[in-house]
Amino acid sequence: MKKLLFSLAMIFSLSLSSMASEPVVTTDTTVQTTPTVAPHAEEPKKSTYREENYQPMSFNEMMVNFYYTTGISALVEPKKGVLTAHGEPMSDFHQTWGRLIMFLVTFVLFYLAIAKGFEPLLLLPIAFGGLLANVPIANMAGPDGMLGIIYHMGISNGLFPLLIFMGVGAMTDFGPLLANPRLALLGGAAQFGIFGTLVGAYALSEFTTIFDFTLQQSAAISIIGGADGPTSIFIASTLAPELLGAIAVASYSYMALVPIIQPPIMRALTTPEERKIRMRTLRHVTKLEKLLFPILVLMLIIFILPDAAPLVGAFALGNFFKETGVVDRLSDTMQHALINIVTIFLGLAVGSKLAAEQFLVVDTLAILGLGLLAFSAGTAAGVLMAKLMNLFSDEKINPLIGSAGVSAVPMAARVSQKEGMKDDPTNMLLMHAMGPNVAGVIGSAVAAGVMIALFK
Amino acid sequence: MFFESIKIMFLGMGTVYLFLTIMIYMTKLMSKLILRYFPEAPKVQTNTAAPKAPVQRNNENAKIAAMLGALQHHHQLECEGKI
Repeated sequence: MKKLLFSLAMIFSLSLSSMASEPVVTTDTTVQTTPTVAPHAEEPKKSTYREENYQPMSFNEMMVNFYYTTGISALVEPKKGVLTAHGEPMSDFHQTWGRLIMFLVTFVLFYLAIAKGFEPLLLLPIAFGGLLANVPIANMAGPDGMLGIIYHMGISNGLFPLLIFMGVGAMTDFGPLLANPRLALLGGAAQFGIFGTLVGAYALSEFTTIFDFTLQQSAAISIIGGADGPTSIFIASTLAPELLGAIAVASYSYMALVPIIQPPIMRALTTPEERKIRMRTLRHVTKLEKLLFPILVLMLIIFILPDAAPLVGAFALGNFFKETGVVDRLSDTMQHALINIVTIFLGLAVGSKLAAEQFLVVDTLAILGLGLLAFSAGTAAGVLMAKLMNLFSDEKINPLIGSAGVSAVPMAARVSQKEGMKDDPTNMLLMHAMGPNVAGVIGSAVAAGVMIALFK
Repeated sequence: MFFESIKIMFLGMGTVYLFLTIMIYMTKLMSKLILRYFPEAPKVQTNTAAPKAPVQRNNENAKIAAMLGALQHHHQLECEGKI
């Protein structure tokens, strides 16, 4: 260490002496013409730079200097003056144990994605991004690092979520919703998860000392209840960019955990008789209806809530292109190539927020907890809404499809189908559940629009 | 300030429901108009007729294969003198 300091001091004194010699030169030149100062002043700088750049040193010195650039040194001996990706000083814990803990966290995420199959398409890029973000010295999550560049390319300005929405739109079939439009109400009920959690998060910040979230931050956290990754990222980057990492990770983790979180809630709120309800087969939906629907939704957004237009607009664009049938190449690109590329970037950029100094903080635990609450509340509200609708209507709805109102497409609908088959193996609920499922996407986009309209 | 969040909840859920209700009625209206004035009926027939043909052919192939199999089996049984 002393040797390193010594060499730094040498370099510093050299540069000082070169600066001291400059005024002599400039005083001579200023007498003649002022513009010629610049080339004269630059020349000595260049030569000293060449000298400074590499100092001959003994092999021992070389080894010691090299040791200080290894990850072992960085992970074992925390240094002062190490900066985070945001340019703030980093604590000793986050430089050492924090990074090691985050390595383990990313390994657990790898395991969940590969062995357990939890949303591997998203979890793997996120986990790998997290691993890279915690590499010491290389500073990959910093503004000039690979992850930092990707982050600024499309997350901080909200572009990537919209491109994902375009692809999701191109993959969505509104047929089941068009065949039975009133099921859209279930997709609306599930948005209670968002607004209920907003109240909960803000109440806990206001009346207790556990958290201290502002109204904007509470709003950004509660959007997790919409179970819609792109929407969560879009809102978080607008309302609370400082919480984006934790919100995105919580949101995508809970989307992956839909098959684990939802079933107990669904079963607790329904009776076996209700779970066996069979629903009427859906009617055939014409091509023209499917073609006009995205335009209809977009027009309604334009008139009622233009703030949701980026999300709904991208979604409608993807869906409209698919349904026209004349631009199959474009719709095919949106469904596959584009969404895949953006998913890689989005995953890596979100992963960059898994850097120890940002993730291993109390707020993250609070966000994970509140996100789970939001998600569960949304699921419960959807199921209860279906039961409420059954009280007023003769055409009974199987309450299990209510849980699909949280938007996680098509995972939530598959969970409804699976739970239904447990009580009656011949009861096919998947297509019925797709209705509230896609309505949930629209519902959470509208909820997001309300938040943006109120807080922007 | 706490009541602010409650107000937002009512406004938010209200907007979501208002939007979805309008969407439901507009969708129903749209479907009604389309089904009355632009029915898809003739197209559906041509669409379903096309994929049906190969399916039937496949069925016929399967039938022929089954018949051949049965004949072969019968022939074997005859050769073995069981019949």
